[in-house]
Formats: sequence, C-alpha cells, structure tokens
Amino acid sequence: MILDYILRRLGLLFFMVLLLSIFTFSLSYLFPGDPLSNLSGIPDTNFTQNAQLEEKYLFNSNYFMQYIAFVGRILQGDWGMSFASGSSVFAHVVDLIPATLELSIYALVISVVVGVPVGILASAYHKQWPDKFISSTAMIGYSMPIFWLALLLIMVFSLKLGWFPMSGRVSLLYEIPASTGFILLDILLADFPYNGLAMLDALHHLTLPTIVLAMYPTTVLVRFTRESMLKVMDQNFIKTARAKGLTRGQLIIHHALRNALLPVIKQIGLQFSTLITLAMITEVIFSWPGIGRWLIDSIYQRDYPAIQGGLMAVSLFIIIATIMAELTYTLLDPLSRNQAHGKV
Amino acid sequence: MAKFNLFSEDSNKSPLARLWRKFKNNHPALVGLWVFIAFSLLAATAPFLAPYGVNQQHSDALLLPPSWNEMGDVRFILGTDDLGRDVLSRLMNGATYTFGLSVVAALITTIIGVLVGTFAGISKGIRSSFLNHLLDVTLSIPSLLLAIIIIAILGPGLMNTVWAIILALLPQFIHSIRNLIVDELGKDYVTAYRLDGASKWHILSRGIFPNVYEYIVVIFTMALSTAILDIAALGFLKLGAQPPTTEWGAILAENLGLIYLAPWTVALPGVLLFLAVLSTNLVGDGLRKVLQARKAD
Amino acid sequence: MHKLLLALISLSLVGCIDSKEEILEEKNQGLVYCAEANPVSFNPQVTTTGSTIDIIANQLYDRLISIDPVTAEFKSELATDWKISKDGKSVTFTLRKGVKFHTTSYFTPSREFNADDVIFTFSRLFDVYNPYHFVGDANYPYFQSVGIDQLIRKIVRVSDHQVRFELFNAESSFLANMATDFAVVLSKEYAMALKANNQENLFDQYPIGTGPYIYKEYRRDHLVRFYKNADYWKHEVALEQLVYDITPNGTTRIAKILTKECDVTAHPSSAQLSILAQRDDINVERETNLNIGYWAFNTERPPFDNLKVRQALVYAIDIDKIMQAVYYGNGLRAQSILPPTSWAFEPQKNMPSFDPQLAKKLLTEAGFPKGFDMSIWAMPVSRIYNPNARKMAELMQSDLRKIGVNVNIVEYEWNTFIQRIGEHRHDSVLLGWAADTPDPDNFFSPLLSCTATFSGKNPANWCNPEFDLLLTKALDTTDLNLRKQYYDAAQSMIIKQLPLLPIAHGMRFQASSADVEGITLGPFGAISLANARKR
Repeated sequence: MILDYILRRLGLLFFMVLLLSIFTFSLSYLFPGDPLSNLSGIPDTNFTQNAQLEEKYLFNSNYFMQYIAFVGRILQGDWGMSFASGSSVFAHVVDLIPATLELSIYALVISVVVGVPVGILASAYHKQWPDKFISSTAMIGYSMPIFWLALLLIMVFSLKLGWFPMSGRVSLLYEIPASTGFILLDILLADFPYNGLAMLDALHHLTLPTIVLAMYPTTVLVRFTRESMLKVMDQNFIKTARAKGLTRGQLIIHHALRNALLPVIKQIGLQFSTLITLAMITEVIFSWPGIGRWLIDSIYQRDYPAIQGGLMAVSLFIIIATIMAELTYTLLDPLSRNQAHGKV
Repeated sequence: MAKFNLFSEDSNKSPLARLWRKFKNNHPALVGLWVFIAFSLLAATAPFLAPYGVNQQHSDALLLPPSWNEMGDVRFILGTDDLGRDVLSRLMNGATYTFGLSVVAALITTIIGVLVGTFAGISKGIRSSFLNHLLDVTLSIPSLLLAIIIIAILGPGLMNTVWAIILALLPQFIHSIRNLIVDELGKDYVTAYRLDGASKWHILSRGIFPNVYEYIVVIFTMALSTAILDIAALGFLKLGAQPPTTEWGAILAENLGLIYLAPWTVALPGVLLFLAVLSTNLVGDGLRKVLQARKAD
Repeated sequence: MHKLLLALISLSLVGCIDSKEEILEEKNQGLVYCAEANPVSFNPQVTTTGSTIDIIANQLYDRLISIDPVTAEFKSELATDWKISKDGKSVTFTLRKGVKFHTTSYFTPSREFNADDVIFTFSRLFDVYNPYHFVGDANYPYFQSVGIDQLIRKIVRVSDHQVRFELFNAESSFLANMATDFAVVLSKEYAMALKANNQENLFDQYPIGTGPYIYKEYRRDHLVRFYKNADYWKHEVALEQLVYDITPNGTTRIAKILTKECDVTAHPSSAQLSILAQRDDINVERETNLNIGYWAFNTERPPFDNLKVRQALVYAIDIDKIMQAVYYGNGLRAQSILPPTSWAFEPQKNMPSFDPQLAKKLLTEAGFPKGFDMSIWAMPVSRIYNPNARKMAELMQSDLRKIGVNVNIVEYEWNTFIQRIGEHRHDSVLLGWAADTPDPDNFFSPLLSCTATFSGKNPANWCNPEFDLLLTKALDTTDLNLRKQYYDAAQSMIIKQLPLLPIAHGMRFQASSADVEGITLGPFGAISLANARKR
C-alpha cells in the first residue's frame, strides 16, 4: 500500500518536473530577443556560430525535437551562458544555491523551534491573556511586509546600535575556501588561523537575515499550530479524557499533541516553498550572495539564460522539497495513507 | 433559558444578520473593518481629495519633515520628499494603486476562480483528475515566484504586475474553491436535490452558492492580503510599478536613498502597507471565526 | 533571545578565539573599499569607465610618467628620464632598473622590466602586427579617440632600458597622454607565455603588472581581492590585503561605512554627506575636480539633428533647481564645458538660461508645436560629475512636460548602460567626463572628436570637421596663448552647436573610516591606494 503511494507521488514529481522543463524551454521563445541567443547565452552570434548552434540545438527541426535536445543538454549540465558574466549558468547556480539553502534551512528551523511551542502555549491558555498576546503578536508579524521589517531591523540594529552587520555572509577580509558552500561548515572545515573569529563573524552576519526570513513562517506556524491544537482539544475523546480526570498537561502531551502535530508537519513542508521566495527579497536587501539575488539582478539586466537557469533551479528545489515533505507526512499519518486518489 | 420578548413572535434573524452580530463582538475585527472601508474609500476618492498633484514639484520646499516637527510646514502635512513633492498626496494616490489595484486583482481572481473551481469541482473522472494534477503542479510554486516569472516575460510595469498577480493567485484560489464545492456536493441536501431531479445549474445556484459564498468572501480576503503584499513587494524590487507611479512599494524603494535624511518618507509607506494588510487579515480572520462558530452551532 | 544564543555560542567558542593582539593585528592587515560597479576588465587600456579604472589602474600597474596634481609637472615612475627632440617628433624614455613584475599562481616572471615590455604595451594600441592588437574587442577607447594610430609612427628599442617613440607630428599633449591612468605598462613575457598556450583572451582578465598589489581573485557582483606586492619597487606596501566590495547602491555604501563593513567608500551620495560629516569616526574629504556633467543629444537621430530642437530643449531646463536638488550646493554651475580651474577656461556669454517661453517658441519654429516624445538615459550609479542622474532626469522630465515634451527615463545596470550608449541607442543621455590629465585637450578629443564618435565614446554622436581642425591645431603647437585661442573657439562652438549641454562641475568626495590614511584624491585621474594604511 505504502509503496503504491510512494510510487504515485514519485510519478507526480516526475510529471511536475516535466511540466517545469517544458515551461522553461518555452521561455526561450517567450522572452524577447533571438531564441537562439536566449538558449545559448551568446548575445550576437555571427554566421558560423549561428550555424553551429542551429545544429547543436536542432533548431531546424520541429519544437518536439528541440525540446528533446534541450532536455539532453540540461541533464548534461549545459544550461547556457549568462549574458552578463559570460560564464556557465550551471556554474553560477551551483555556486549560489548553498547560500540560499543555508539561510532558508536556518530560518525554517527557527520557525519550527519557536513557532510550534508558542502555538501550543497559546492553545493551552485559550481565551486568557497569553493566548491573546501571542495571537495579536502573530497577527502583526503575519501582516508585516517582509521588506519593511528588514529595513526596520537594519535601521535599529545595524545603523543605530551597530550590533549586527547588514550585508554579506562574512567579513570580506576572511578568505574562506568554498568547499561545501555552507558558510558555517566551510569555516569549520577550513584550515584557517582565525577560525573562531571568522565563525563569530559569520554568525553575526547570519542573524538579521535569518530573523527577517523566519518571521513569516513562524507566525504562520504559531497560528496554524494553535488552531490545530484547539480543533483537537475540542474533540470528544479529549473531553472524555478530561472527564476521567487527566490534568491539562497530561492531556496535551499524551493525547492532543500527536494528533494536532500531524497537519502542522504538513504545513511545515509547505512553508519551504514560501521561504525560498521570501528569501529572494531578503537576499536583495541584505546583499546575501544567494540564488534569489542573482535571479532578480538577472531580471533587471535582461539576462535571459540566467533567468531561465535560476527559475529552473528554484522551482526544482521547491517541487522536490514539497514532495519530500508530503512523503514524510504521509509516512507518519496513517489516515492519509489509505487515500485512494492523491487529493492534496 | 427563555429570552425576554417584547413582541410575541419569534425573532429569527437571517444568517447574515446573525453573522454581523457575532462579527461586531469581535472588536479587533470590527476595527479592521473600519480601516478596510477607510482604505477603500481613500483608494476611490484619492485623485480628487489629494491636496497637490502627484508629480507637482515645489523647489522651495525640499525634504520638509511632517508638519508637527518644528521645521515642517502646515502646507505639507506629512512633509515633502527630495523633489519637493507632497508626501500626503503621493501616499493617498498610492492607495489607489496598491490597495485599489489589489482589490481589482482579487476580484478578477475571484470571478475566474469561482468559475473554474466550480467546473473542477463538479467534473468527474479523467477530466477531474487531470485538472487536479495540473493544479498540484502550480500550487507548489509560491505566488510571488510565479508573479516574478511572469514579470520576467512581460517586462516590468504596473499593469503587467496586476496580470501577474492574478495569474499567480489563481491556482490557490481554484484549489480552495474546488475543495469547497466538492465538500458541499457530498452533503445530504445536495443528494436530496438530485433525487428530486434538480438540474446541475439549479443545484449550484439555489443550493450550493448560498451556503458557500461567505467562505468565498473569506478566501477573497486572504487573496487580497497576498495581492497587496505581492504588488508592494514587486514595486519594491522595481519589477512592478515604475517611478513616478505612486505605488507604496515603489515609493519605499525610491526613497530608500533618503533613509537617513528623511526617514518619514520610508516609514510612512511601510506603515500604510502594514495597516492595509493588517485590516484585511483582521476582517478575514473575524469572518472565519464567525463561520467556524456557526458550524459548531 | 538571539543575544542569549549568541552569548552562549561565543562563550563556547572562547577556546578558539585568539589573543587580543592577534585580533588587532589581523584587522589591520586588510582594507575594504566599497566600489560602485564591477570592473569590466583588468587592463586599463581597454576601457575609460571610471569605476573600473579606479579599481585597477594605480593598484595593479605603473605608468612611465605621472603628473603631480599640485604643480602639474611630470614625475618619473617607470621612466627615470625623458627627452624630447628639437622638432618634437621623437621622445626618448630612459627606463628604471630593478623593477619586477608580479609573481602569481598563474605566472612567474623570469626577467625584470625592460624596453621590450614598453614596446609591446604601446604597440598593441596601434600596430596591427602586434600579436595582441586584435585580442579582446580590439577596443582601446581612450587611445583611439586621441588618434594614437595617427600619432605614433614606431617605437624603437635603443637599449635594454631606453626606448624612443617616433611620432608623425609633434603633439603637445603626447606626454600628458602617456601620463594618464590608461597608459600602464604590461608584461610582454606574460603575453607571450599565454600566446604559447593559445590563451590570449586571459591576458586582460588575469592581470600581471608592476604595481603595489597583486591580483588574487574576482567574484562578479561580489568582490575583487588583491594581495600586497612584497617586491614593489617604489615603497613598502602597508596593507596585506585590499578588497573591493562591489556595491552599486549609493545608500548601501553609506550604510556600510556606518556599520564599518567598508573602510572607504567611493562616491558617497551627496544627499547623505551631512550624516557622515557628523560622525567623529568618519572622515569626509572633498576636492575640486576637473570634470563636467552634461546632457548629450544623439545628434544623428531626428529630431535631435535639428539645432533649434536642441536649443528649445535646453532653454526649458531650470538648472538652478538641479544645482540645489541634485548637487546639494556642492557643485559649480557650468559656464562652459571646461571647469574654471582649467587654464584654458573661458566663460561663455551665451550659455542657455531658463526660459520656457523661448523654448516653446523655438520648438514651434522647429516644427513641433505640440511637442514630441523622447527618452533620457540616466546613469544608475553616482559619479563625481553627477551624483544622481535619475533625480536630475525626473526634474528635467517635469520641466520638459511644460513645453509639451514627454520624457521616458531609461536606466540599465552601469556597464550595460555604457555599452549601449556606445552603440548610440539613446535619444539623449545624462553623462559626464572626469579628466585624466590637466591638459584641456582631455576634455575635447576623447569626448567630441570624430575619432571618438567612431570608437563609440562620443555620446553626442557628433562629428564636426571644423571642430576637429581646431583641436588638431591646438595640439600642433606648444604656445599656450595660441592654444588658448583655439580652445576658446572650440568652447564657443560647443555652446553654439549644442551637441551637449554642459550642466555642472561636481566636487569629488570620499568617505573613509578615521583610522585610514594615505589615500590620494586628486583634481584629475584615478584614485590611488598604493600608500593606504590603517593606523
């Protein structure tokens, strides 16, 4: 039964990736300019280059053959060349994705570690002042535009108080070789005389962007957890347990939590895709060298191969993350395993 | 417990009246509603009410602080920016763009969403499965990213942003509507209608929609708050409204360079954005709470 | 909550943290400079973009001679002596001994600097038989616009440390041109080594020079990193590392100085200078500078080929308002294309004034009673001659609307912008020019000559043979009075013909942390960080 479900989900994954690739392929035609340039990344092709490219990209055959050629190239790692930098788009993507992932993962962890317990707390003190306080704070955080929050934090903590820096991942004077791309890991792995200082510096740089990025998912999780808990606590089996004499604490920990947390886990998985999008804005404001900032810069510069590559990379990650989160959720939830058709 | 009745008839208020009663008691939601209405009125009347033209430059009054500051001038209540333009007028007009266009985008999304969602909800078999899978694909891509993709194709600009937002909000909307319809279709009264021989159209218009429209309003408010945030985010990233269009996010981005000299030019648009989204969320939340309570009755 | 977390982590890292002395020593070994754009190349010969030249020219390379900013005399750099023949057609340079080229991970020199390097470097600019002449885009904008191939006949190797330049004509600005930041000396040995591996295209990207710093790495949109050249011939270099943090946004550069993420910043936004001046730990330097900010028309494109149209547009602009709102009082309104500090300056009597009525009349006479649509291209970065082109364009947009002209403002990323202006895609552009030498020809030939048009550096797309004749005559003589007469005529021709409208001369600003010293700002030329150090 489970295997069947997993296979079907993987099928969905494949289908989604297929659609994504078709969409990305069509972008070369949808974007203004010469499609051949958009595909290859060479802006003004002369005659011989044109001929070579036409052969390579099967330009003279129908769209289906071109699409096959496109998929072949993608799988081999030839994602074209960026107009702006002249280097391989794939190299850029590989270079920049770890930074975005690192930021998003830390923000996700914070939102779970902070959001879920606070939501549980709010539901435990339902209709009393802790609940009201937490709910209103969550509502305020949920409604705040992320770029405004970032600007406020920069104004107060960076410029006025000088506690945290406002750009980059680590002070530029530290030359940290990029082995994994995750800055904290790289510092630990590097054979570097000033490891401790560099680590502290990197943590300083991480603080503000992570807080900004974590704000929205944390408030979503607080609200969602609170509602999920309230819904479960309202159910008859809880009332029975209460009547039998269990204390509030025992109720929550032994009975309500396990049932309430399941949809919360599903929600956590969904948050990942929102995180990556919000990360794009955060990266622009904090000059964080991740794929989001690169994508937005490419849009300004009309660097079409780069836009294609960036979109494909980001969407791919989101799709994979969503499906993985779903699989995890389904493995944990007995009820949804038995669903005949995958109704999301 | 018997209620005191001056008149002898039973007073059975309509569901709408009861809803309003419960909603009124939720004070934050009520405040949110007033603010929401204020913004809507502002968005509609700003071009007539604003004291100055949006691009009117006053070279003698550059970077004036708001009028309560001692250096301010009562002619310009909220001060001026670095080109001598009145901040109040620009922000008022911004309401038309940010708030007004978001409402328009959300409304269009609602109309299309309801049509397609209903169609998806009542169809069965392969058509339904295919549509569902298609929706799943687009659901996993967040609305802002979709909007950015569409802007990348169409190019920056305010109208393109509106189209982008509509296209980006549709998947989630259609999905929610579809689930709503499917849930309703499973209910007993619909089966009763069908057994009675009602046509599909009859079931929809007489049976389902009256029960469902309040939920549609809730979904509308959620779409609206997303739309406001997205339009402002795109304006801020300079992918949306281009200066000198006075969209709030674009104003914020434009005035970032003045953040030390004239922090009010950056703070005020942000506050307005926050209030607009907050009020929409409060209204939506309030409505949702009332509907949930009603379900429990 | 985060402070607590931070404190816990810091406590746990106490064991890894080094002693206080080491911390201080480490900080003082590097300097971070906030730069406003990516360098387009690492060879100053192939570009005139100020943002690139500021990064590479005085840091990686040396020139044969330089010009003292105060006395305007020539000083020796890689050339210890120079002699001009009586007819002015031969210039002999005696070269310095004991100068080493950089040793890097990609090149180790086997010999010291000598005459072969000079011959290779300069013949690349004009000699089609030089193996590197066509490498890259074969574009040497500065030298091409001053007509280098009409100037140098050949370069002769007199001995290991002596070269003779033989010119077609005696030109009074020859030495000045050899002293510009573009006239750096490159390594022939490196060039030949790359050629042997068919890697000529790497020559301009992985630089080898004789300068105080050595190239280490470049990450686009992120940073440029230089290491100290321990064998520098001129003096001891204080900094171990020099890093350029590429930050196109002016406000962000200011923020980085305030948060100490940068030690020095280029072109601080003029609106924010008062904030910086208030801080004790930040020095703001200002310097009068030879530059001009202008509004240039694409004179090959109708209706801008019509003089009346150009005049109409120019009379519609309120420049006083621009001086206030854009320069914040820190600029000088232009009375001519040359700044008053240039010896050839002559205030022009018929500089356009603010007269919208006249503008409307001229526009009607030119055949556009209802106005028309046009574009103004505005630079996205702050320059010495124009701190905020976007704002200037918005002010002009509002002025022009009153005479019925609708303006669309166009912006691109800086290097893309320059490239497209070179392709003459614009209707009009807000741009400028900062001088490389105090010689007045520097304002005319690289900017408005016919050769400048052909090399894409003339933003007005203007080629006027009479004008060029004036410039040539001025270069043919060394009599200053005669030269001034020619330059007077040139300046008044510009105001009469209006290929561009000179708007203002800006002041040069730099903001640096109070513990930084040794950075030289001059009235012309690029910034030099050769002597930079931290106290």
